[in-house]
Amino acid sequence: MSPDAQTQDEPIAGIEHIDGLYGYALVLTQNRTDAEDLFQETYLRAIRAMGRLRDDSNVKSWLFTILRHAWLNEVRQRRRAPETADVESDETTVNVPDEGAKDPHDVYVDKLERRHVRAAIQQLPEEAREVILLREWEELSYREIATVLDCPVGTVMSRLARARSKLRELLCSLLPNSFPCQDRKEASE
Amino acid sequence: MSACDDYRSMIPLYLDGELRSVEAEDFRAHIAGCAECRRLLAEEEALSELLHRARPLYEAPDTLRARVSGILSSEGYSGVSAPERLRRRIRRLLASPLTSFAQPGFRWKSLTGVALVTILTLLFIPPLVQNVRANAFVEAAAETHRSYLAGNLPMEVQTSSPAEVTAWFAGKVPFHFRLPESQQTAGGQPIYRLMGSRLVNFRDTYAALTTYKMPGQAISLLVVADTSARAEGGEEVRSGRLTFHDHTADGFKVITWSNHGLTYALVSSLPGAARQSCLVCHQNMADRRSYVQRP
Repeated sequence: MSPDAQTQDEPIAGIEHIDGLYGYALVLTQNRTDAEDLFQETYLRAIRAMGRLRDDSNVKSWLFTILRHAWLNEVRQRRRAPETADVESDETTVNVPDEGAKDPHDVYVDKLERRHVRAAIQQLPEEAREVILLREWEELSYREIATVLDCPVGTVMSRLARARSKLRELLCSLLPNSFPCQDRKEASE
Repeated sequence: MSACDDYRSMIPLYLDGELRSVEAEDFRAHIAGCAECRRLLAEEEALSELLHRARPLYEAPDTLRARVSGILSSEGYSGVSAPERLRRRIRRLLASPLTSFAQPGFRWKSLTGVALVTILTLLFIPPLVQNVRANAFVEAAAETHRSYLAGNLPMEVQTSSPAEVTAWFAGKVPFHFRLPESQQTAGGQPIYRLMGSRLVNFRDTYAALTTYKMPGQAISLLVVADTSARAEGGEEVRSGRLTFHDHTADGFKVITWSNHGLTYALVSSLPGAARQSCLVCHQNMADRRSYVQRP
């Protein structure tokens, strides 16, 4: 089979930012159906707008910005708070590879830890959720986050500090043995 | 405000790689001599590591991938004026079947996850810019390896413990780097031995250099943030969701890949094409078939 003939009937592979964008959509919408629609809308908008991209454009933050604008537009159209649903489901959580080489107890602990981290993220206010996701999971720079959120870099830093503080508080109650929660509490008193 | 207050306010900036190199040096110097600031840094690192262990947070369902692929096929792909060379590469990428995270993948824990070269990136970013950056990294990795072989780059931490290497790099490089704890074995014997690590310069930032020994063979692994370099070019070998790029530079085999915000270059003198050299370590592993040459 020639390479060209091979490509015609085979399914298409994933895209590098697909999981990151979908995660951001879930963080904003907290609703799997809305997240999928938002994600699809993002790609439609991206394709239509790609002609306006400059050679030195940051594609990743551009895509995240499009997604956020699409979401804000959707919220404005609905003029009501978005419906939320539990995003913690088998369809959206991740089967992390390489678990086979690990002790079953370690696998269990990792899975539990992941579940608690996701639960803590979901308890954060939207503003904190998105800044944490863009920094800790998508590893965007402060400047890139500022572009996505359309705010000054200083605002990104203060939001991030508040989000981390709140996340630490939540995780200390969910996972008290994962880091030195007690020390921090004593130090702040 | 005391000096410590200033440095404590820099902790998140340091961990997020937002300090300039001179500021980072100053910060490291203060931390080295201040136990309380060191403790606070360790606390912030612990939180950050916990969050990173939970990556990736969510995975897009395959049905959604298919929908987006449909969009790209019907609406965007045909309308994009990409050079023919790019189109050929994209077609090769599109030929890959959908895979699942549950599929056995590359065994090094820190290297697993999503890392396909993006169709959109290929379309949007000028290929020339990408190639120049990729080639610079490949050449730097080969040059670093040659210096190491010549004895000019002694390891700053000499250990066979991945945990010690991970701990040593914490706070020294502007990214989170963790060596996998597991060791590949063949017949119960380790295939390679960890020798140690050190910092090296790459452009205006630090890169993490880790070295290994195999019988008659020295191997080095150079790691940088993917904002400094991306894996690109060469012969492509896919394993799960990772795409490896096989290059030859300065007489060495250099295999690069990008994953989770980092770009890696594995440098050796192993003979053969990329698939064969991958099989040296992966010959007894569950993902062996990923590296067996397809007819």
